[in-house]
Amino acid sequence: MTGSGDLHVVFKVADAEYALRASDVLHMESYTGATKVPGTAPYVAGLVQIRGRVVPVVDVRARFGLAPAPLTLDSRVVVAQANDRTVGLLVDSAREVLRIPQEEFKTPPEVVSRETQGFVKAVAQSQKRLVLLLDFGKVIGEEPSLPASPVAKAGRPEHAIGEVTANGQ
Amino acid sequence: MATAELLLVDDSKVMREMIAACLRPEQGLAFSHAGSGLEAIERLSLKKFDLVILDLNMPDIGGIEVVEFIRAQDRLRELPILIVTTRGDDTSRSRALGAGASRFMTKPFAPEALLGEVRALLRRDTRAVS
Amino acid sequence: MTSPFDVREFLAGFLAEAEEHLRSSAQNLMALDRSFAQGQSNARAVRDLFRSLHTVKGLSAMVGAEPIVDLAHAMETVLRSADRAPGTLRREALEPMLQALRAIEERVSALAEGKTLAPAPAAILDALGALQPQDGQGGARPDAAVSLPPEVLAKLSAAEKQQLVEGVAAGKRALRADFVPTPERAAAGLTISSVRERVSNVAEIVKVLPLSRPRSEEAPGGLAFVLVLLTGGSDEAIAEAAGIPKEEVLPVAVQSAPQPAPAFGEEDEIPAEAVQRRTIRVEVGRLDDALERLSALVVTRFRLSRALAALGARGADTREVAEIMAENGRQLRDLRAAIMRARMVPVSELLERLPLVVRGITRTSGKKARVEIDGGGGAGDGQTPEGRSIGGAGFAGVASRAGQEGRSIGEELDKSVADRIFPALVHLVRNAVDHAIEPPDERARLGKPEEAVIRVSCLERSNRQLELTVSDDGRGVDATRLARKAGREVPATDAALLDLLTIRGLSSRDEATTTSGRGMGMDIVKRIVDQLGGELLLKTQRGSGSTFTLRVPLSITIVDAFSFACGKQPFVVPVATIEEIVEVDPGRLVRAPGGREVRLLQRRGETVPLLALESVLHMERGTEPRRKALIVRRNAEPYGFEVDRMLGQQEVVVRPLEDPLVHVPGVTGSTDLGDGLPTLVLDLLSLTGSLGESRPS
Repeated sequence: MTGSGDLHVVFKVADAEYALRASDVLHMESYTGATKVPGTAPYVAGLVQIRGRVVPVVDVRARFGLAPAPLTLDSRVVVAQANDRTVGLLVDSAREVLRIPQEEFKTPPEVVSRETQGFVKAVAQSQKRLVLLLDFGKVIGEEPSLPASPVAKAGRPEHAIGEVTANGQ
Repeated sequence: MATAELLLVDDSKVMREMIAACLRPEQGLAFSHAGSGLEAIERLSLKKFDLVILDLNMPDIGGIEVVEFIRAQDRLRELPILIVTTRGDDTSRSRALGAGASRFMTKPFAPEALLGEVRALLRRDTRAVS
Repeated sequence: MTSPFDVREFLAGFLAEAEEHLRSSAQNLMALDRSFAQGQSNARAVRDLFRSLHTVKGLSAMVGAEPIVDLAHAMETVLRSADRAPGTLRREALEPMLQALRAIEERVSALAEGKTLAPAPAAILDALGALQPQDGQGGARPDAAVSLPPEVLAKLSAAEKQQLVEGVAAGKRALRADFVPTPERAAAGLTISSVRERVSNVAEIVKVLPLSRPRSEEAPGGLAFVLVLLTGGSDEAIAEAAGIPKEEVLPVAVQSAPQPAPAFGEEDEIPAEAVQRRTIRVEVGRLDDALERLSALVVTRFRLSRALAALGARGADTREVAEIMAENGRQLRDLRAAIMRARMVPVSELLERLPLVVRGITRTSGKKARVEIDGGGGAGDGQTPEGRSIGGAGFAGVASRAGQEGRSIGEELDKSVADRIFPALVHLVRNAVDHAIEPPDERARLGKPEEAVIRVSCLERSNRQLELTVSDDGRGVDATRLARKAGREVPATDAALLDLLTIRGLSSRDEATTTSGRGMGMDIVKRIVDQLGGELLLKTQRGSGSTFTLRVPLSITIVDAFSFACGKQPFVVPVATIEEIVEVDPGRLVRAPGGREVRLLQRRGETVPLLALESVLHMERGTEPRRKALIVRRNAEPYGFEVDRMLGQQEVVVRPLEDPLVHVPGVTGSTDLGDGLPTLVLDLLSLTGSLGESRPS
C-alpha cells in the first residue's frame, strides 16, 4: 500500500483542475439536479440522494464566485468527507485519478491564494498540468465555531454556517 | 337561532343516543340518524344538513370513503364533518383529515368536548375572533 | 366524568349491542376454525371480527369499562394485522382469541349485574401480544379481471375480488344492480338499507358502492348505489328485491388471473417454535445497494408513465395500463418501505455493547464498575401498548415485542439514528467511569459498594420519544470546580450546570485522561441530541451520582405525513402538526388591512391569516391557482399555508438534515416519497414566524 495516500481525484471547474485526496472521496456520480432547500446560501445547489444517503451539494462555480454554466453530460457530483461531514461538490467534469506524491505539493503563490479566496491550499505540477489542491473544509464552510441552534425552534432566521449561538437556547 | 340539522352516523344505536345526549344542553339541534355509511350518503343526497358526526368503523363503506364521497360533491364541499371514532391505529386521523374531515375525536371523550366541537363547527361558540 | 348524561341510562343499550357483537364474534371464530380445518382462508370472518371488536372497544370506552377495552384492543390488534395481510392468522391464534372473548363475556355479564369488573387477565393479554408479528406467509392475493366501471373497480378490495372469483368458480353468477334513492322511494320504505337487506335474502352481496350521477328527475339526489352480487338464483328475484326492472340487473364478467393461492393449511406444517423472529446479519451497504436499484426501477417507471401519457395524448385508451401503473407505483413504494424497515435496529443491540465498553476502561483506570441494562418497554409490562401496530403493512416506527427473556426491550431505531446515538451513549458511560466514579477505596470509605453500577435504561415515552438514561452512583458533577475552570458563575440549577458542561472544549479534568477528556466532549453529545431534534437533561447530586437523560423523538424516524405540491415541488409535513386542510375559494378571501400581502380566510368564526407557502420558501411564484390551505395552530392562533394541491398521505422515514449547509429553520429533514429524490419535510409551525415578513417575489 505504498504511496496510496498519493492518489488524488482530479476534477475540472471552469477549465482549472483541482484535486482532492482519493481517500477522502466516497463517490463520483453524474448529476441530474438537486432538491433546492429554501433559506440556504446561494452556492448550495440542494440535496441529492446517492447510494441511499442524502447529501448536500455545493455548486463549486457559485462558491468560487464564477459565472454559472449550463449542466452537461460531464457534470459530476464528487462526494467527499471531512470530519463528520459528507458533502457533494458539483463540478464540470471529474474523470481522473492521479498519483501526486505529497512532496510535489507546494504552497501556492500569494496571488493564487488571493484569487482563489483561500480555497486552494497547495499546488502541484503533474505532467505539465497545474493541479490545485482544494481545501475541502473551506469549501464546505467548516469553521471552528459552536454548533448552530437546532432547527424548529420558533422561527428566528438563522444563518446556516458559523453563527455563534449560546448553547441550550 | 335557526335549527341546525345534524346527521349522526354510527352503526351502534346506543352510541348515536349517547352522542345526542351529550348535545342536549345545546338548543336548536335536530337529529337524524344513519346506521351505515350508505344510509348517510343516501340521506345527504336527499336533505340538507348543517353538520355530520361520523364514525369511521362501519360495514360496507367505511367512514373515510364517506368523507371522500361527500367532499367530491360540490354542494357538500363545505359541510362540516366531525369524526368521532374508536381510537385505532395512528393513521386514522391523517387519513380522515387528508380525505377532508373537519375535526377528529376519539372515544372515549368527555361530553363537554363533543359539545365544544359541535358548537365550534356550527359557529355557535362565542369565543372572540383571534 | 361529569356529564350531562348518566351512563346508566345507556347501560341497557350497551349491553344489548355488546352481547350481539359477542355472539357474532363467537360465530366468526367458529367459522374461522372450520376454515382452518379445510385449509382455506376466511377474510370475511376476520374482517367482521375486527370490526366487532373495534366497536365493542369504543362502546366500552364510553361506558368506562376499561378491562373490556383492554381485551378488545388486544384482540383487535391481532385481527388488524390479519385483516391487512390475509392468510397470516394462524390456527394457534384461535385459542387465545376464544379465551379473550370469554373474558369479555364474563365482564359484560358482571356489568349487567352491577358488579365491579375484574381487570383483564394478564395471561390472556400476553398470549395475544405474543401472536405478533406475523410472517406474511400463505394468503397470496390472486388478482382478477372484473368488468365493472373503473370507479367501482378501484374500490373493490383484493379480498372482495377473491370473493367474486371463488363465487364464480363455485358456479354462481356475478351481477350488478343499481339502486337510485329518491324521496318517493324513501317514503315508500325503499331505502338503501331496506333494499340491501331484501337483496341479501336472495343473493350474496359482495359490495355496495355509492356512485355520483348528475342530478336529474330520475336521480334527484345525484346518487346511485351499485350493488355487486353473487347469486345462484334468478335475476327476477333480485330485481324485485331491489325494486328495479329486471333488465337493469346486469351481468359482471369475472376472470381470475392465473396465480395459485397457497392453501392456508400449509401453515400447520410449521412447528410452533419457529414462530420466533428469525434474523440474519445484513451489511448496511447491501441495503443501500438495494435502495439504489430501487431508484433505478422508479426512474424506469417514470419513463413508462411519460410514454403512457404520450400514447394517451394520441388517443389510445390507456385506462387499463394506467391502473397497472398505479398498482406498480404502490408496490414500489411498499418495497422502499420494506427496505427502510430492514434498516431498523433494535435498541437492545446498542445497549448490549455498553458493558463491554466499561470493562475496557475499568481495567486501565483501576476503578470497579459494571453496566446494568434496563429495558423498560413502555406503557406497561405485559400489555400491548396502544397505538403500535406491528407486523401489519408499513408501520415500522416502534415495534415492541417480547425479548428473549420475556422483557419487552424491543424498541427499534433507524440505523442512522442508532449510529449517531451510540457514540453519545459510549461517551456518557466512559465519562461516568472516568470522572464520576470514585476509586474503590474511596467508595469503601463512603460506604458505597466497591463496584459502582452504571444503569442504562431505555423506555418509550407516550408521545413516541425514546428516552435513554445513563445513571451512576458516583460523585455527582462538581459545579463549583467546573465553574471555576470555565471562568463563570456557579450554576444554580442542574439545567444551567448542563449548559456549562456542554460548552465546547471544556473538560473538567486538568489534563486529558486516556479515555475521555479528549476527542468526544459533552458538547458533541449535546449536538448529536440536538440534531436529532431531541433533549439532553441532567440530574445530579453531589456524593450520590448523576443521571443523564437523552430523549430522542422516534417520530423523527417515521412520521405520518401529508404530501403536497407547492410550485411543482413536492413537500411533506407531519400530520400531527396539521389541524385541518381546507379548500381555498379565492372569492372568499379578504385582504388584510394596511395593504400587506397577507390574505385572510374566514373559517367558522375565526379569521385565519393565509400565507402562500411558495413565498415563504422564496420559491418562484407558480402559475397554478392555489387550491388548498394547511391550517396549523401556534399558541392557540391559527395560520394557513396555501399550497397547489395535496398529493396524499403516507408514513415516511425522515432523515434529519444535519449538515450546517442545509440546516435551516422550517425544514426538519428530508424523506423519500418513492421517487428516489429527497423531498423536504417542513415544520410549518416554525415558518409561522415569518408571517408579515414575506413579500411577493
